[in-house]
Amino acid sequence: MNQLCIRMEGVSKRYPHFSLDGINLELPEGRVLGFIGANGAGKSTTIRILMGLVRQDSGSVRVLGHDMPAEQTAARRHIGFVSEDMRLYGAATLAWHMQFVASMFPRWNQPYADSLLRRFDLKPQQKIKGLSHGQRVKAALLLALARQPRLLILDEPTTGLDPVARREVLDELMSVLLDEGRTIFFSSHNTLEVEQISDHIAFIDRGRLIALEEKEDLLDRWRRVRLLVPPSAALPQLPGVVQVAGSERLPVLTTSQFDPAVVSLCQDRGLTVQAVDPMTLEEIFVANVQSRRELQPA
Amino acid sequence: MNRASINYAVVRHLILKDWYLNRGVILGSIPIGLGALGLVLTGKPVTFILCIILLCMVIVGIGAQLAMVTTINERKEQTLAFVMSLPLSWREYTAAKILANLIIFLIVWLPLTAGALGLLLLPGATHGLLPFAAIMAAEMLLTNTLIVVAGIITESQAWTTAGIFCSSLGINVLGYVFAHVPGIATYMWGPRVHWTPAAWTILAGELLTVALLLAMTFYIQSRKTDFL
Repeated sequence: MNQLCIRMEGVSKRYPHFSLDGINLELPEGRVLGFIGANGAGKSTTIRILMGLVRQDSGSVRVLGHDMPAEQTAARRHIGFVSEDMRLYGAATLAWHMQFVASMFPRWNQPYADSLLRRFDLKPQQKIKGLSHGQRVKAALLLALARQPRLLILDEPTTGLDPVARREVLDELMSVLLDEGRTIFFSSHNTLEVEQISDHIAFIDRGRLIALEEKEDLLDRWRRVRLLVPPSAALPQLPGVVQVAGSERLPVLTTSQFDPAVVSLCQDRGLTVQAVDPMTLEEIFVANVQSRRELQPA
Repeated sequence: MNRASINYAVVRHLILKDWYLNRGVILGSIPIGLGALGLVLTGKPVTFILCIILLCMVIVGIGAQLAMVTTINERKEQTLAFVMSLPLSWREYTAAKILANLIIFLIVWLPLTAGALGLLLLPGATHGLLPFAAIMAAEMLLTNTLIVVAGIITESQAWTTAGIFCSSLGINVLGYVFAHVPGIATYMWGPRVHWTPAAWTILAGELLTVALLLAMTFYIQSRKTDFL
């Protein structure tokens, strides 16, 4: 296994109306983690703790080998961070921002920054207040990428963008990511984006991490099985079933532990397996969250 | 949060950032202040009063504007997340904010204070006013520090506005009180400068309060756990 880029152990943070509860998360170097959660699930709090901007009440956090928040300055020398609620100085130009960030990062790569300017179609002499929202997001990405970070933390960077701008930003981001082997922590509630970009997936809900694994394994494990149950047969106990929808005769099972043997088992019991449908990441996320909320109501 | 020593290069970059973003207002205010001082030379009592008021307004106003823009607006306009994505600690951020506000304020305060004190030394001027003017100039420095500290510690527009209000009121109230302190009032309208123990005590007290406010800010900031 690669060296760990992020390691969170038993991390908790308590606020009056929200708690982050016992987060355990490991991300090896070179991986792209999609961090998915509904609004208010704890994504931004987790990221702020990772950045050293919020101190956890308990648990330990290591980022790029540095204890957080104690060694946040050293860690942030190698972190590029873009968040949905991050703004640049409206009265200053992009060129000024580039110069300012470059002065803080010895690893700033000006030729790379220039190439990103062209790829993102940005004009350095333009003031930030004159840029569209999509251009501002691209400008923030440029400032994060050209410092050549070992870890890129993106907190819902495409939120608020129109579909065209979101597509542009995502396409550019993906093409940039293909060039590099850096570790990325990509937080979003847009599962389609996360599915495109990530190789690892984490789900967070109500302050708890409810899933963390490789994307392909996750997508392989979850299936929707459509059955036809004849009057003479009964629905058998199947492993990993988290939801049963449809009717008694035509049930639709959602399972988190699909195995081809399940199909044989059903057929042996006289059931007809009408279809075994793969699920999108969004469907998996929603099914996962709903089943856990049924088990553990708020 | 970060117990390491301060990286002064980072602090310098942050100060230069605040200077760059506010240089227009600062540089624009100096000619207004100097113009007010120039009008004092006309010698008319009404003009003198109006110009002193204008001078005070420029100095206090610049301090308040700076504190608002560099501390409160940074949070309100969400540029703080950008700054805090950079490799700096909160000690460095706090040091940069205090120094930026004080240094940039001094760019306005120093020439205008020097000009005002210089005018009082001109032949024919009421030289006795000089200690009182110096005390009031230090009072404006203290006022500015109080506003900056309120902005940094509370990160709240409401509390900083309250700080500005209290500071403005404080200047008038303390100005009245100081003007009636026997050690100052006795010589204030005289032809010669008298640096009495009372004047020195007040001046030293003001400067000590500035130092205490700054130390308190570092202490409180070091105990904060959440910054965004």
